[in-house]
Amino acid sequence: MASVLSSLRYLLADFIGEDDGVPPYLPEGLPDSVVPVVSDGIHLLMDYQGSSYAQLYVDRVRRFVGRPGVDEAMLGEIGRLMAQRMSYEDPIRIAQLKLAELETAPGGPRVAPADMIGKFRLVELIGALPGPVAEPVLDALDWVGWTHMPVSIRFSTRSRWSIRRLKIEASLRRWRLFSVRYAKERAWVERWLHMISRSLEKQPGAASAVVQTATMIQGYGASYRQGLADWHAIIDGLAKPTFDGALPLADLAAAIAEARATATPDPRQVALKRAIAEIRARALFAGANAAAG
Amino acid sequence: MDTSHLAEHAGTAGTLFASVFVVATYTMRTMIPLRVFGILTNVVLIVSSIPTHNYPTGGLHAVLLVLNSYRLHQMLQLVRDVKRSVNSDLSMEWLKPFMTERKCAPGDVLFYKDEKAEDMLYIVSGRFRLVESGIELPVGAIVGELGMLSPSNVRTQSLECVEAGVILSVSYSKVEELYVQNPAFGFYFLRLASARLFENIDKLEKRLAQQTTPAPASAALKPA
Repeated sequence: MASVLSSLRYLLADFIGEDDGVPPYLPEGLPDSVVPVVSDGIHLLMDYQGSSYAQLYVDRVRRFVGRPGVDEAMLGEIGRLMAQRMSYEDPIRIAQLKLAELETAPGGPRVAPADMIGKFRLVELIGALPGPVAEPVLDALDWVGWTHMPVSIRFSTRSRWSIRRLKIEASLRRWRLFSVRYAKERAWVERWLHMISRSLEKQPGAASAVVQTATMIQGYGASYRQGLADWHAIIDGLAKPTFDGALPLADLAAAIAEARATATPDPRQVALKRAIAEIRARALFAGANAAAG
Repeated sequence: MDTSHLAEHAGTAGTLFASVFVVATYTMRTMIPLRVFGILTNVVLIVSSIPTHNYPTGGLHAVLLVLNSYRLHQMLQLVRDVKRSVNSDLSMEWLKPFMTERKCAPGDVLFYKDEKAEDMLYIVSGRFRLVESGIELPVGAIVGELGMLSPSNVRTQSLECVEAGVILSVSYSKVEELYVQNPAFGFYFLRLASARLFENIDKLEKRLAQQTTPAPASAALKPA
């Protein structure tokens, strides 16, 4: 009987989600000081999505275990920040957190925590749906120019109906890995890890600064969008050209710090773009002088 | 003479005969015999629906007959193409009908080094470069065909689009599906992948031999 149920569960895995709650093993050779960080990451992602997602996290951490240039502190930071970015805040996550808050409320589940109003962009709401459903809608929104329209959503646990609604929203997590947003988040995490790897090869001194760039992207809505745009501006303008050999930047870490210091909540990124242009001009000038002299 | 009872008996016999084929169809383990028995069942049920004037059933099975025949043709064509490829240029063009098109802009990274590999790519147009080695892949190149069979299942290099182009992609799960459905395909696919692997080893050995061969004296001496 168990094997029949197991087969049925496997057949319907895409619809009913994963069945095993067994966390993956820690990567081999993980330093003791990093074990608590990675364990926390695994448990966070088990709660966020499931064991296979936690396994993906472990596989990604494993790439940096024992790698030359990666000390325990850096490995811990990679593990911590990666878990944060892999548990990105979409409406499904907010619903999950709100339900967890209700369960762990000081007065028990009977005392409802305060309501929360999340200010998302329309693209974030639709992007949380599976690709085949979301893509035509996003195309249509793009056509009418409403993709980034702000939308406020109330996350409440005050009534039975609102709790039911949160549970329905949280249950969408089983399709999260098929969503448009997940594809983008996955590409982002891979790009960040790729930049860390390239930094370790080309400018090991800047690797920590590259790792810390993950802190630029936080939350959801406008702040998330701004952080993401700033991150791409810094990586595309400074880090990637340096690793490609197109920009002779001797101290990438200092350049990243300088650029980050100018980043403000400005959708046009005027100050940041100006700072990046100045850093690039200085580096190219210094490079030309070094080549001439 | 009333022949209605004869038609009724013929219909009942036909239905019983078809039931045998239905059972036989469900006992098939792989796709090609399953389709063949499906077609035979469709034919028997179409024929048996005529004397009983059960036209909706006949119509349904006529549609299913076309569908089954088309799918069988696809499967046989796939096996034939893979087999032909093994014996000729080791091309993987036969995968094209199962692939989906994707447009790429300059700067787009299709995958990163160490990322878990999940699909196979075919370059249709544009320019694509392997970031770590700096090698540019030509149009018609297949990327990631061995990743499906490798135990680590990770990308060994990053692939970046240098000039806008189009790629076709097929997920490993789709290839696995074809593999499981069709043992003949699976066999030839393995032979093809092994042949491509040996071809790569051969190329590397030749390159290594070229590098280790001492340069001729005339080439070594450069003019001042």
